[in-house]
Order: sequence, then structure tokens, then C-alpha cells
Amino acid sequence: MLKQVQHDDTTLSIFILFMNSIIGYFSTKFGELWDKDLSDLMFDALDGVLKKIKLEKSAIDAIFFGNMLGGVVEEKLLLEAHIAEVLGVNIPIYRVEAACASGGLAFQMAHEYLKNNSNKTVVVLGAEKMTDISAENITKSLACAASSDEQAVGLTFPGVYAMIAKLYLQKFHYKEEHLAAISVKNHAHAVLNENAHFRRYVTVDDVLESPYVAYPLKVLDSSPISDGAAALVLTNRKLVIGNQKSSQILSSEVATDCISIAKRERLDELKATKIAGEKAFKISGLKRSDISVMEVHDCFSIAEILALEDLGFWKKGEGGKHAKSMSTAAESGGNLIVNTSGGLKAAGHPVGGTGIKQIGEIHLQLTEQAGERQVRKAKYGLAHNVGGSGGLAVVSILGV
Amino acid sequence: MKSVVAQWRKQKKDVFLLGKKGKIITWTKIMVSPPKFQAFTPYLVVLVELENKERVYGQLVDLDDKDPKINQNVIAVLRKTASVGSNDLIEYGVKFMPF
Repeated sequence: MLKQVQHDDTTLSIFILFMNSIIGYFSTKFGELWDKDLSDLMFDALDGVLKKIKLEKSAIDAIFFGNMLGGVVEEKLLLEAHIAEVLGVNIPIYRVEAACASGGLAFQMAHEYLKNNSNKTVVVLGAEKMTDISAENITKSLACAASSDEQAVGLTFPGVYAMIAKLYLQKFHYKEEHLAAISVKNHAHAVLNENAHFRRYVTVDDVLESPYVAYPLKVLDSSPISDGAAALVLTNRKLVIGNQKSSQILSSEVATDCISIAKRERLDELKATKIAGEKAFKISGLKRSDISVMEVHDCFSIAEILALEDLGFWKKGEGGKHAKSMSTAAESGGNLIVNTSGGLKAAGHPVGGTGIKQIGEIHLQLTEQAGERQVRKAKYGLAHNVGGSGGLAVVSILGV
Repeated sequence: MKSVVAQWRKQKKDVFLLGKKGKIITWTKIMVSPPKFQAFTPYLVVLVELENKERVYGQLVDLDDKDPKINQNVIAVLRKTASVGSNDLIEYGVKFMPF
């Protein structure tokens, strides 16, 4: 495939051979899936995506798998062999762990694999089983993605984001209701997503009256503990693309930062997001204004505000104001709609599956398969997936 | 149960923080905690910038149910840090208190 792209306001003739395409996406429902274990979820997503695009498993050259907690919640390691067993294959399978960015990083690695191997087709799978252990123990498990110093003082994952939120609210003179607007918007979007964990509206008052998890973040500022799995099929093989509804991967970039927020230059931004975003835009040749739809990492309400600022869509410190205006809601009629899936907040957050669902949602939007939540005339979209409290970020840009 | 050796290793560093003064940069109150901190829940955690610009986390104690303030002065003290089993090593570490 040959493609000409715009780069830094100057039309450059950049001809890309064998551009990587997404040709299929399937997601299980996200939520408390009592009758499914991790193997069931992995099989459902793999089987679902292959059936959806009528692709034989013999056409798959490799699988990239994002998962964080299989070794903790289900005491399952060597998950590569679990996948080989449930799918009945003997191909290379690579498991990727980057906390909540496990899915996004698996996608980024699959993209790199395809860039270096022509005529290949791969599946990117993300799955997580989280609801089989107590809230206290899942809190402890997720806190493993924090630094040793943070864990030693009882600082939980919500607690780290709460510290960022406290500083942000005070520094830029916002209130908790500015954060609450993010949850209100994303719950409204999730009503239209048949796979979402929570398909119900919430109000600003609902959010403000919900109990604190870690001050100033409340239950309704926080993404839930969810089970779920999602899978994508990527290819650079022209014959496989055929007549499939496909989107192209214009860029997928990863950046890292100190795991401890105490060691970072600033507490009101995620540097990894800024770096990955800048690289992704540069490689794609797009401008911010080209993006119509985004899935950003809203593990907590403050995280979506930081994401829009750090990706360069909102000026630093103005995010609270924009959030309250709900300018990125589907109903706003704006040029940029954010988290049409409902985001992590309302669609749910099975951590290994989230990054795949984000890219899948953008793929659905760009290929006009998003049903009731379709954003009109979307040509370019962005997915942003964060590991931990910003220790790693993946930014991927798709186009049609 | 935390390894005795790991606790010894940590305390070798903690000892140098005792008595050091600094200011709160940001803080939170943890309402849902990991199992070994449940006896202390809810509890305050602060990020403190010491006078030498080093940044250190710690729980904040002896505040009499008031909320902490950003830029509030605090000092590092030694306190029991977690609930452990009757056969486990009692964990001590650095916490902060206002001064």
C-alpha cells in the first residue's frame, strides 16, 4: 500500500510500503463476569475476532498479549501456553506487562513487529480477570505498579492520582466538580456501548456525593474493577486485507518516566504522555486539529484532564475549565469527541484489555462501525494508554 | 509477611531521614487500603520536600483530625508502619508530624 501524508504543514512525498492495517476487532462485555475465568475471556476474544472477519487461525503468524495480573489473581504464569492451549496453535506468542498499559504496549510491539516483517498477520489480545479476589487484595495487587517507596507508606494507586489531583486543583483553582464533569460525560457515552460495564447516566451531584476512595477522588471519579478481553487483527499482507473494513496505523509510540511521582520534574503533568504524543504526531504527520475522536486513559477523572493537556489539545491548567464545559461530549457537536466507549470510567477497566479496547473503539469509529455512538466523518483518531501513574504511556494514531 | 532482611535494608535508609524537616507538597487521605494498612485506615499520606530538596513520602500523624495544608511544615519521626501477624517482625518506618 502506498500512502502520501502531510508532514509539518509541508506536503512531503513519504511513500510507505506495506502500511500496517487493523482489519478486525472484537470485545467481550466488560464487567463482573462471574462465569468466566481468564482462559474463557482469552478464548472468547480470540474466537470472536477470528469469526467476525472470517479468518482461519492458520493465517495468524504471532499473538501479542497484554495482561497484568494473571500471576496474582489466578496464579497463572506462562500465559503464552494458556493461549496456545485455548486456541490450539503453536505459533510465537508474546506476553506483555506494563500495568494498565499492557494492552497498549502489546499493540505497539505488534506494530513494530509488522514494520520489520512483511506479509504477516498478527492478533493483539488484551485480557484481565479481576473480580475473583477482594477489593483490598486487588488494591494491593494494583499497587504493585507503584514504586517501593509509595507502597511502603500505604499509598494506593488511587492515592497516587489523588495526590496529583490535590495539587492540580489547588494550583489552578478548580473544585471537585470540575473533575466530576469527566465522569458525567463518560457515563453518558457508555449508555450507547453495549459492552460497557456501566450503562447508566450519573450527575455531577451523584459524583460529588459518592464516598472518597482517596481524597479528593471519589468512587465515581474512579474506573471500576472489571473483567474483560478484547482482540485486534493487524496485517500488512495485502491479500488478507482484501475487502475487510480496515484502518491504518499511522503511528504508535511509547515513552517512559520515573515510576515514583516524587522523582518527576512536575506533578501536574505526565511526561511520558507528552513525549509519546509528540513522537506519534510527528511520525503520523498530522496536526492536533486533524483528530476527531480519541480514547484517553481516564483511570481517574483527573487523568483525562491531564491527558488532554499533555497531548497538546488543551493548554496546561485550562483542563478543568474545558472539562466542566463538556466540550468533548458526543452531544456537544464539537470537533473532538473523547472516550466514546465510555472510557475506563464507565466502559470498565480490565487493565490488560483496556489498551486494546481503546484502539478497537477508534477502529470502529473510523470504519463507521460504531453504531449509535458513531462520530460523523471521523478520518483520524488517537488512543492513549497509561501504565501506573504515568511511568509508561503509549499513544497510537489511526487513519482511514 | 515482609522479609526481615528487606525490612533491615529499608531501615538502614530510613534512619538518615529521622528529624529532618520539610514542607508538604501534596497529600491525600486513603480510605480504601491494602490489607496490612487496614488497622490505620483512614490515614493521611503526604509528599514532603525536605530542606535539602529531597522528596519523601510518609504518613502524616498527630494532626488532630484536621486536614493538612500544602506548604505546611513537618518533621520526620519514627513510627510503627503496618499491621503484621503475631509471629512477624514489627515494621517501623518514617512518618511525618507537624511542627
